[in-house]
Amino acid sequence: MAVLLSSNLCLILLVSALDWLPTPASAFLIDWDRTTSSATLGPHFTDCISRDQETFRCWWSPGSLQNLSSPGALRVFYLKKDSPTSEWKECPEYIHENRECFFDANHTSVWIPYCVQLRGQNVTYFNEDDCFTVENIVRPDPPVSLNWTLLNISPSGLNYDVLVSWKPPPSADVGVGWMRIEYEIQYRERNATNWEALEKQPHTQQTIYGLQIGKEYEVHIRSRMQAFVKFGEFSDSIFIEVTEIPSKDYTVPLTLVLIFGVVAVLTVIMLIVISQQQRIMMILLPPVPAPKIKGIDSELLKKGKLEELNFILNGGGVDGLPAYATDFYQEEPWVEFIEVDEEDAEGGDKEDNYNSDTQRLLGLPHRNIEGFSAISHPDDDSGRASCYDTDLPEHDTQRLMASLLPGQPEDNETCLDAPASETGEKPLIQTQIGGPQTWINTDLYAQVSNVMPSGGVVLSPGQQPKIQENTSGSERETQKGGKQNEDVEGIKEQKRNEPQFQLFVVVPEGGGYTAENNTQQTSTPPSTSVPGAGYQTIQPQPMETKPAATGDANESPYILPEPSQSQLFTPVADYTVVQELDTHRSLLLNPPPSQSPSLCQPQHPLKVPMPVGYVTPDLLGNLTP
Amino acid sequence: ALCSRLSSIRAASSCTNGQTGCHFLSLANLFDRVIQHSARMHGISNDLHSEFELYFLPSKNQIGRVSRNCHTSTILTPNGKENAQRIAREELTEVILKLLVAWREPLWHFHQNMAQHREFNNFSSNKSLEMSEMVHELRRGVQKVVEKMQMLGVINSSLGNLGSPEALLASDRAEWRLMNDYDLLYCFRRDSNKIQNYLKILKCRIVPEHGC
Repeated sequence: MAVLLSSNLCLILLVSALDWLPTPASAFLIDWDRTTSSATLGPHFTDCISRDQETFRCWWSPGSLQNLSSPGALRVFYLKKDSPTSEWKECPEYIHENRECFFDANHTSVWIPYCVQLRGQNVTYFNEDDCFTVENIVRPDPPVSLNWTLLNISPSGLNYDVLVSWKPPPSADVGVGWMRIEYEIQYRERNATNWEALEKQPHTQQTIYGLQIGKEYEVHIRSRMQAFVKFGEFSDSIFIEVTEIPSKDYTVPLTLVLIFGVVAVLTVIMLIVISQQQRIMMILLPPVPAPKIKGIDSELLKKGKLEELNFILNGGGVDGLPAYATDFYQEEPWVEFIEVDEEDAEGGDKEDNYNSDTQRLLGLPHRNIEGFSAISHPDDDSGRASCYDTDLPEHDTQRLMASLLPGQPEDNETCLDAPASETGEKPLIQTQIGGPQTWINTDLYAQVSNVMPSGGVVLSPGQQPKIQENTSGSERETQKGGKQNEDVEGIKEQKRNEPQFQLFVVVPEGGGYTAENNTQQTSTPPSTSVPGAGYQTIQPQPMETKPAATGDANESPYILPEPSQSQLFTPVADYTVVQELDTHRSLLLNPPPSQSPSLCQPQHPLKVPMPVGYVTPDLLGNLTP
Repeated sequence: ALCSRLSSIRAASSCTNGQTGCHFLSLANLFDRVIQHSARMHGISNDLHSEFELYFLPSKNQIGRVSRNCHTSTILTPNGKENAQRIAREELTEVILKLLVAWREPLWHFHQNMAQHREFNNFSSNKSLEMSEMVHELRRGVQKVVEKMQMLGVINSSLGNLGSPEALLASDRAEWRLMNDYDLLYCFRRDSNKIQNYLKILKCRIVPEHGC
C-alpha cells in the first residue's frame, strides 16, 4: 500500500506540474483562476448544470477570438465513457442564442463520466477538466411558495420568532426520491450587507429565532442535493417585519389599571382613617384617666351648671341619673375616688387658697355668690362640689353633692352644713355656712364617708369639731397626714379613730334622687375581709324602699340598697362607694362588711363584692344589668 | 448512523426463525430503514472522499484527473431514473445486492490500511470503519427486505442467486485490489449514490405512496 500511495503522490505531482502550463482551452471550472487574462482566453465552456438529474446543459463562450462568435463556428462534442469503445458525439440539441447545448433525458446518464469539447474548423479545444458526472453537476432549483408566520413574541416585547415554510422545487422529483434535497435559509436586515445562514436541513420549514421588532428582514433560500457540494440559485427574497402595535395595547391599559387600583386603595384607607378617627386617636393617644366621681360629670361642675347638676342629682328625670350614671361609667370605667388630701401643715398660701375657694363657694360678700362657680377652680379634675349655697336656705329640698367633691371638705361642709344650720328641722345637708373663719381651719379635701338617711353626708376630713357638733355621730376622719389612696385596707386601719363628718343627702320629696341607706358606721374594723368595708349606704327615712332587695329589675345597677334603715349613723369609712341607684334614685353605698351580712342583700343577680377603692371596668360590667 | 445501524440490525435479527412474539415490520417500514441506512452510508463516503481530496489536488467536478475504472463497472446498472423505473423489480433488487456485496471486502481492506497509516487522523479512520460496517449491515437489511418481498409475493422467487452472496462475489474477486485508495473512495461514493437512488425507486414501485 505504501507503494501505491507513493505512486499516487508522484502522479499528483506530475499532474499539478501539468496544471502550471497555460492551457489554450481552459475548462469550465467554477473556481478557475480568473487571473488569466481574457485576451489569451480561447473558446471554452463556461458551465454545465443539471437541474433535475435527468437532463443537463452546457454553455460555452467563444473567448476573445471574435471570429468564432458566430453561431455554427464552434461545435460541441461530448464523450460518454460508458464503455472503452465510446466515441465523441456531437451535441444532441443546440440552443445557439444562448450558446447552449442541451442534453435531454435520453442522452443523459447518471454516474457515467462525460467529457465535452469544442471544435472549430480545424482546431479542437479540449480540456481534461471538462469531464464530469451528472450527479456532481446538479444544482437544484430554488424552492417555491416561500412564506412566513409569526410564532410568538418574547415577553419583553422586543423579539419574536418566525416560522418560514416553502415547497420543494417542482423540477426536482422529490416524491419518487430521485433527488433528496436539503435547504439553506439566509436572512439579513434590510440594509445590512452580510447574510445570516441557518443550518441546512431537509425539511420544508424552519424557524428563525430572535428577530427584533420594528426591523425589516430579508429572507431567501436555496437548495442542494444531500451529500453533494453544489447549491442551486437563491429564491426571490421575502420580507418580514413585525411592528410594536400588539404589545402597546397591553401595556397602556395595564398602567391605567394599576394607577386606578392604587388610588382606590389609598382612598379606602383614607376613609377608614377618617371614619375611625376617634378610635384611632384612642388607640394612639389614649386619654389619661382623670379622677372622676361616680355619677357626677365633672364637666358640669366645671362649667358651673349647678342647676343641671342639682337637677340630675335630685333625679330630675325619670331616666335622668341612671342614664347619666351609666354614661359616666361608660366613659370612664376607671372611675376612682379622689383622695382626700389633708395637709394641715401647709402654709398660709394654701389657706389663702382655701379662703378664696371657700369664700367663693360660700358666696361671701367679697366674693360673688354665684361663684359657686368655685368651679372655676383651676384644678379641673377636682370634682369640686358645687354647692348651691344660695338656694339652700330657700328651698325645702336640699340637694346634695354627697359623694361629690372629695376635693374640699370644707366646701362640702359649708354647703351641706349651711342649710342644716338654718333649718334645724330637717337635718338635711348640714353644712357649715358659717363665717369664713370657721373654715380656715378646715381641710381642703374631705372624704365623704357616710351619707345619712336624712340626707346628710358624713365627711371625714382632718378635723372639725364644729361639724361634729352639728351633726350627730360624726366622727373624725383619720386621714390626717396624707392622702389616702385607693387602698382600702390602709384606710380601714386609720378609720378607727377617724372623726367623721356627716353629710346628709338631700332627698327631694319628689322622688328622684333618694338618699341612701343611712348606715353610718363609726368604725370600720380593718380586719373586715369584705372589701366593701367602710362603705355604707344611706337611705332617706321617708323613703324606705328596698327595691333592690326585691330584685327589682328596673333598679339601676348602681344602687345597692341596704335595708339597714334603722341605723342612721353607722361607722363611716373613709371611702364610700355609691354602688347603685335604686328606683327612687337613692344612692346606695356599700355597707360595712360587718353589717352587710345582716342586711338583706339585694338579690341583684349581678351583685358582686365591690372593691373599696374603685370600680374596675369588669366589675362595672357586672353592675350593669 | 448508530440508530439506523441498530434498526437494520434489529430488522435483520428479528423473526429470523419465525419465532413467536416477533415484531413484524411492514414492508414500508423496512424500506424506510434501509433507505435511511443507505443515505447515511453515502454521506460518510462523501465525507471521506472530500477529505481525501485534501491530500490531493481538489478536482473540479470531483472526477479526478485520471479517468478511473471502478471494479464494479462490470455490473450493469441503470443510469437514469427512467431506466431504473423500467427494469424489473427483481433486476433492480439484484443490482442493489450485487453492489453491496461487491463492496464489502474492498472497504474492509481500506479500513485496515487506514488504521495502519498514521497520516490519516482518527476521524477518517473511524469513518472508514463505520463505512465498512455499514455496507455489511445494509446488505443484510436489503436481504431481509427481499425475503419479505418474496414472502409477500411482490417479487417472484426466481432469483436464486440473491440468497447466495458468495456467488456474486466470485466474479470480481481480485479486481478491486488494483485500485488505489483515492479511486476506491471515488468509486464507492458513486456506487453508494446508486444504491440510495435504486432503493428509493424500488420502494416507490413496490410500496405505493403519494408522489410515486
